[in-house]
Amino acid sequence: MKMKMKMKIKGKNMQRRCFSGVCVAGYEDSGGNEILQLLPPPTLQAKETQGLCPERDFKVECGAFSNRPVYGLKHVPDTSLLVTSGPPDSSLRVWQVSAEDSDVIKPVGAIAAENDAGQPWAKIATISAKAPWVLHGSRLDSVRVTEVESRKNVYTAASRTSEELSDVAFLDRNTALLCCAEGQLSLADVRQAQAPLEAASVPWAPCGERWRMGVAAQGSDPGSRPVARVSSGGHLSLTDVRKTSESLAWVKCRFPRPSSGAEFLRVSWAPALQGCLAVSGFDGTVHVYDTQRWDSSGREAEPIFIHKGHALGGADSGDGPSLVTTHAWHPQKPRTVLSAASDGSLHVWEWVRP
Amino acid sequence: MPEIKVTPLGAGQDVGRSCILVSIAGKNVMLDCGMHMGYNDDRRFPDFSYITQNGRLTDFLDCVIISHFHLDHCGALPYFSEMVGYDGPIYMTHPTKAICPILLEDYRKITVDKKGETNFFTSQMIKDCMKKVVAVHLHQTVQVDEELEIKAYYAGHVLGAAMFQIKVGCESVVYTGDYNMTPDRHLGAAWIDKCRPDLLITESTYATTIRDSKRCRERDFLKKVHETVERGGKVLIPVFALGRAQELCILLETFWERMNLKAPIYFSTGLTEKANHYYKLFITWTNQKIRKTFVQRNMFEFKHIKAFDRAFADNPGPMVVFATPGMLHAGQSLQIFRKWAGNEKNMVIMPGYCVQGTVGHKILSGQRKLEMEGRQILEVKMQVEYMSFSAHADAKGIMQLIRQAEPRNVLLVHGEAKKMEFLKQKIEQEFHVNCYMPANGETTTIFTNPSIPVDISLGLLKRETATGLLPDSKKPKLMHGTLMMKDNSFRLVSPEQALKELGLTEHQLRFTCRVHIQDPRKEHETVLRVYNHLKGVLKDYSVQHLPDGSITVESILIQATAHSEDQGTKVLLVSWTYQDEELGSFLTSLLKKGLPQSTA
Repeated sequence: MKMKMKMKIKGKNMQRRCFSGVCVAGYEDSGGNEILQLLPPPTLQAKETQGLCPERDFKVECGAFSNRPVYGLKHVPDTSLLVTSGPPDSSLRVWQVSAEDSDVIKPVGAIAAENDAGQPWAKIATISAKAPWVLHGSRLDSVRVTEVESRKNVYTAASRTSEELSDVAFLDRNTALLCCAEGQLSLADVRQAQAPLEAASVPWAPCGERWRMGVAAQGSDPGSRPVARVSSGGHLSLTDVRKTSESLAWVKCRFPRPSSGAEFLRVSWAPALQGCLAVSGFDGTVHVYDTQRWDSSGREAEPIFIHKGHALGGADSGDGPSLVTTHAWHPQKPRTVLSAASDGSLHVWEWVRP
Repeated sequence: MPEIKVTPLGAGQDVGRSCILVSIAGKNVMLDCGMHMGYNDDRRFPDFSYITQNGRLTDFLDCVIISHFHLDHCGALPYFSEMVGYDGPIYMTHPTKAICPILLEDYRKITVDKKGETNFFTSQMIKDCMKKVVAVHLHQTVQVDEELEIKAYYAGHVLGAAMFQIKVGCESVVYTGDYNMTPDRHLGAAWIDKCRPDLLITESTYATTIRDSKRCRERDFLKKVHETVERGGKVLIPVFALGRAQELCILLETFWERMNLKAPIYFSTGLTEKANHYYKLFITWTNQKIRKTFVQRNMFEFKHIKAFDRAFADNPGPMVVFATPGMLHAGQSLQIFRKWAGNEKNMVIMPGYCVQGTVGHKILSGQRKLEMEGRQILEVKMQVEYMSFSAHADAKGIMQLIRQAEPRNVLLVHGEAKKMEFLKQKIEQEFHVNCYMPANGETTTIFTNPSIPVDISLGLLKRETATGLLPDSKKPKLMHGTLMMKDNSFRLVSPEQALKELGLTEHQLRFTCRVHIQDPRKEHETVLRVYNHLKGVLKDYSVQHLPDGSITVESILIQATAHSEDQGTKVLLVSWTYQDEELGSFLTSLLKKGLPQSTA
């Protein structure tokens, strides 16, 4: 099922929230960006795939205006809060969604520090452990964990180096995983304030490539949760989170080198399909791979499915070929994926097992 | 301040009964008169008691406008005009006028015959109601009376649907009804010119919807049909002759051709004749493509679609059949349904809303055992699908329309104001217009700034330009004249001209003021002192010393006389006309300050 979103904002960042809403946001530098929470049609909410349904449209449940472009957008679990990040610095904005009595997403504050000015935008991850927390930072030495509601600082990283980060994630309530733009992984124990971090680079990583990371959802047993890292040169590495110096798998994917570097590159694991991951951000397609037969030989991997909808594009593709800016998996339907592209389109699709 | 008042009628917040009252410059217009399909009691009709508690509504309304033939926009019309009482004009487009009574009659039949209701409008009432209808053409300005005029614009959506502009003097309102901004296979897209109405009224549901792409919807429909036909099943599509049937036929024909499918597609002859008849009558309401096709051949002459014969329903093998009526409540579609319902390989696709009480409504609600005439139970094993192909605008569409029309204010009906703050802000920010969202029964007042054209007389214009100052587009020029209002025209003329036309004589108003100055010298010396003083201070003005001993400053006269009792005091008489009030007051204050001590 394909859906086209008719908005003239340039592109989207997305976060699948519970299974009852999708948040999208714009990233225009010139301001006037919107953050929207969309209510998906009943067919997407139900578990079974229904036939034709009268209601097939998305509804705008609520929205907000952001004068900053939104590059990072995350929902804080167990709350009705959203956290966003974006240029011109590495500070965060906190928003409150109050869908019941109003359709406005209200800005409720900012999380910022003095050393945020002039830094690249912060990468964020959220968890609701003792309290709703956000893990954020743009460089290895500026990683922090902040309590979202009280804005209290819970953890600050003590790192001697200041590599730029490309992704951050919570492995569990005590452990954070950080991925640098050049590929190194670091683990941090957030209980030990200011403990040093250890870094492990991607084995056999060629120089000059930029890397992004994808971690499976929280709660799964670490043994079956390899960390995926994808580079702008098309290399994909799977690593066991407990032994980050070794490699579980190492393959080459066939996609064009993105002109935007690793900016929009994204790799994510399917929540309901063993060993399946999706990669996007290099052109107008989304690739789905089955990693179960992969090894570390570095040979080329064939995707089990390529979604080409965004590339075959819509009516208003006057700005050149569209780029898939983000994607997300449906939390329950195993083979359903949502993807958004730079032409403002939003697709919800699934592939059929042959 | 002139104002426009808008009240959406009826209780409840749900969409499904459009009826909006607009009050503009003393004229009252009712926009649409729809029926709510979900209720069986009085709640299905709008609440007309808002207009008046008792009696007929003819005196309270100047006209009624119906946007298109869907029942949620015209379903309450016979009830309103014949049972509540209204004898004034009802405006709608030609196709709407032709098709409305058919739908109303069908609906009446279902309600009275099937559901056994008694307090409902009759066939005669429908006929009487339609006699009050005045049909309009697109873009035709219709004078309802001397001051009120209306104009219809193409809205897409269904055959004959229109958006209406209501204008009184220079105040105007545009009501969109239901519209669609993207053309489809047999209708064009809505279009309006930059008419800049004071107010644009439209549905709030559009603004919060992000529509699924048509291509996607169609592909799913085709997939379902294809799957059924591939497994040897039969597909029944009950349709109303002029709804989406044409659209779906074109869609299937193209698909069959592309996929080289062999299964037959039929539609019932009743359907073809009716549809052909109406499309022929209203060919200008369809899109370019249809019009071109129509010239070459009959619109329903498809390669893969043939006329149906009731005997075909018993043929083995796969097929697709379009049959009327659309809600499976009677006639051919029901007959076919009964034959095919027992086989799970078959499928029925309901293309639209079904009224309660019809078989269509029952099976869509999930009922699988239906009681037919003679207590027979029909078990429904065939697949039941519901798809809505109605063409509606959405969030993007409404923004496009606002951009086209450039209204000064926007009003969204059928929404909850507090739940639409973001939307309101979005419209206000994007277009810098006010956005209103009244609840049903609530009146919104919009203040307008009508411009009033005034003719200026040539004489006055010439006089003002003769002052020598060049016109500056950045600075407003202050002019003095007299405004003459006669009948409905306004003229700005010079006061002399006004007096002449009115037969009045001009009066001169002169002020005189006495200023006492201490000066023991002779009068003529005082005068000289005053003259020199004024000449020095008022360099930009014409100060003259006349031979008779008086001083003039522009047209102001100053004379000096000795005080009758005190020789040391001189009395300056300052006299000026009303027009020189300012200068006169200034001179007086100046002189009151006294003369400088230096000698003349």
